[in-house]
Amino acid sequence: MVLKAFFPTCCTSADSGLLVGRWVPEQSSAVVLAVVHFPFIPVRVKELLAQVQQASQVGVAVLGTWCHRRQEPEEGLGRFLEGLGVIFFHEPWLQLCRERGSTFWSCKAIQRSTPPGVPSEDQVMLVFYDQRQVLLSQLHPPAALPDHQAGDAPASAGGLAAVFDTVARSKALFSSDRFDEGPVRLSHWQSEGVEASVLVELAKQAAGPACLLLSFLLSLLSAMAACRLFRLWPLPFICSKLSTCEQVRHRLGQLSLVFSTQKAENPTQLMRKANVLISVLLDVALGLALLTWLHGKDRIGQLADALIPVADRVAEELQHLLQWLMGAPAGLKMNRALDQVLGRFFLYHIHLWISYIHLMSPFIERILWHVGLSACLGLTVAVSLLSDIIALLTFHIYCFYVYGARLYCLKMYGLSSLWRLFRGKKWNVLRQRVDSCSYDLDQLFIGTLLFTILVFLLPTTALYYLVFTLLRLLVVAVQGLLHLLVDLINSLPLYSVGLRLCRPYRLAAGVKFRVLEHEAGKPLRLLMQINPLPYSRVVRAYRLPSCGCRPKLSWSSLCRKLFFGELIYPWRQKGGKQD
Amino acid sequence: MCDQPVTNTKEAKWQKVLYERQPFPDNYVDRRFLEELRKNIYARKYQYWAVVFESSVVIQQLCSVCVFVVIWWYMDEGLLAPHWLFGTGLASSLIGYVLFDLIDGGEGRKKSGRTRWADLKSALVFITFTYGFSPVLKTLTESVSTDTIYAMSVFMLLGHLIFFDYGANAAIVSSTLSLNMAIFASVCLASRLPRSLHAFIMVTFAIQIFALWPMLQKKLKACTPRSYVGVTLLFAFSAFGGLLSISGVGAILFALLLVSISCLCPFYLIRLQLFKENIHGPWDEAEIKEDLSRFLS
Repeated sequence: MVLKAFFPTCCTSADSGLLVGRWVPEQSSAVVLAVVHFPFIPVRVKELLAQVQQASQVGVAVLGTWCHRRQEPEEGLGRFLEGLGVIFFHEPWLQLCRERGSTFWSCKAIQRSTPPGVPSEDQVMLVFYDQRQVLLSQLHPPAALPDHQAGDAPASAGGLAAVFDTVARSKALFSSDRFDEGPVRLSHWQSEGVEASVLVELAKQAAGPACLLLSFLLSLLSAMAACRLFRLWPLPFICSKLSTCEQVRHRLGQLSLVFSTQKAENPTQLMRKANVLISVLLDVALGLALLTWLHGKDRIGQLADALIPVADRVAEELQHLLQWLMGAPAGLKMNRALDQVLGRFFLYHIHLWISYIHLMSPFIERILWHVGLSACLGLTVAVSLLSDIIALLTFHIYCFYVYGARLYCLKMYGLSSLWRLFRGKKWNVLRQRVDSCSYDLDQLFIGTLLFTILVFLLPTTALYYLVFTLLRLLVVAVQGLLHLLVDLINSLPLYSVGLRLCRPYRLAAGVKFRVLEHEAGKPLRLLMQINPLPYSRVVRAYRLPSCGCRPKLSWSSLCRKLFFGELIYPWRQKGGKQD
Repeated sequence: MCDQPVTNTKEAKWQKVLYERQPFPDNYVDRRFLEELRKNIYARKYQYWAVVFESSVVIQQLCSVCVFVVIWWYMDEGLLAPHWLFGTGLASSLIGYVLFDLIDGGEGRKKSGRTRWADLKSALVFITFTYGFSPVLKTLTESVSTDTIYAMSVFMLLGHLIFFDYGANAAIVSSTLSLNMAIFASVCLASRLPRSLHAFIMVTFAIQIFALWPMLQKKLKACTPRSYVGVTLLFAFSAFGGLLSISGVGAILFALLLVSISCLCPFYLIRLQLFKENIHGPWDEAEIKEDLSRFLS
């Protein structure tokens, strides 16, 4: 049976003493956490271990002895170390020894209980680990087993998790400083910059009241938003359709999460808070940059001057399109009367639209100026606002699309049911199938008359529908791109990505082992290195929830809806609203 | 069986079974092998004139289509005033309606439970809808080429003739589909007429000749066969006359078609009946009763 001993690299040059750590019987591995130096009082060591055990809920015990021979070998020390095994009883009793001038370590594990007389020895494999990295890193549930680079390192995922967990939980053991004069002197990993942590402490002290104040302000804001005046009929409906409102609401929720005074329960939640904070900060920074760009050199005025001609131009192009449709477009056989009626109807709408735009034109600049101010809330809010403005400015296209789609939908459904009547069938609602049915003479006559009329009018309606659907899809695509940008800023876990970039070991996917020494008769020495999590998995694991404007339709169902003339909506829909 | 005495084999009767060992060679065919075979037990003996009488349904329907096309041609050419056609149609419909009840003394009406008020409502629906939609019909196919309309109408009228319920019990028969196809064709043709009044009267005429006239025919055929023959002859001659006034060749071809259907086809049916050889016997025919759809999916 091979026994694994996990040994921290920072203790390799420590003085001789006792090995303190945890024994994991399932993996038959010993995780060494620290070395207790000579001289010590055994009772004090036991007291310390009991304290640590109470604080961390980890079974910390003395695992064996550590002997670092700097001078010539002393006969007495070896015997003394063996004697210690009687005071701190542990099964098995590890005996690590580093020879001077030799790269090989001697390593023994003694089972005392098996035969009472002669102590039996197990084979021991030494695995070195960086205590700081293992302490700070967060092991992610590995998709595959950790890489076995050197030999067959028998460390399964569960064993690794136990090692990581042990080191992370026994933080209390590492609280004592190297320079402290305590009853027991320990050797383990220590933070280098203790002095700088004064600033951190100050920030920690200040953060509490600041968070309290901010969360109070936020709750005030949300209480205002929830007041009864805003619950009146049209407002919630409009709010649910405007992406700006959704974005502001989303940001409010995120901020209240960040500034809540509750402590994060687990590292994932902490990471999420940090991600949200960084994303909001970046968003606001980008928004401020946009704001300074917009408000410098009278760019707002230029934009407003350009906007009205563009809207006019769009309306003019639409008029040309309609006139083309009212002729004989592409040599299609259209019904002239219906064509004229539809064309005039749409032309009248464009006329209305142009007069509306011209009525608005004196106020456009002021509106844009105020809209520009909203960029200080963040780039995402500004982009959402832009998407809403596009939606409002292309309202005529939306209207045309709805008229066309409704007409076409009516025709398609009428034709499909009349075609069943034409064949003498009908749709059985109860059994969800087509049954044959005997109709009356007048039913048949009227059905066939309508069928004939609809068949001959279908191409005209279908052409209008097709053209306006294409226009609509163009607008929807532009809005979709804007929403995608907002989603990207909203959901990208920037903090996690930065952490992965600067401190790869903090997000561990697994470990790999490198062989340090391997020679027959000597214990195998391995170095454990942490495999960082790949970027794709970082993004996937820590992606923030977006505000749900992702298209829920699959392509096939979208095509089906387009074919049958059902309305497609670009704007976000909550799960319940979708039919 | 093998240890049976040899004397028994002479008296052993041949049995038409495979599951018993018999003292005959494998290629042995007994005299009684085909004695249960029967031929043509369900073949019907047709009387020539009865078949001719039955074929009159087909004649009637052909004539209906012919008359409809002829009338449409007259309307399209402007030779027939719509008022006159409407008056004639109305008068003949009223006569037909009265006859419809008189022939069987109102028994059919009692059986179906249909009131006169329902009839009036149906008539009103026909008239109102046709009249209301006639301006739409007028402009419906303006941009579609005339040849397309003709092709579509011919196709639809052929479909009407194919799917019509001539009394045969077949899967292809669907009186609904046949009537719908006729109405579709009539709407297509009516949309080519010069004015909306023409279109209205053409569609009304189509209802009369394709929907109402077959109902009256059926009743006539069931109750008074003699008068039915007379009506058929009269109808056929009038169709022939109408077609003659448009095209002589067409009329002659039509007459040949009618004669071949009413005289030659029955003759051939009876002649070919002699060559019929249906065999029946006490064997099981291979018959697939299982639902095959589960293998197809």
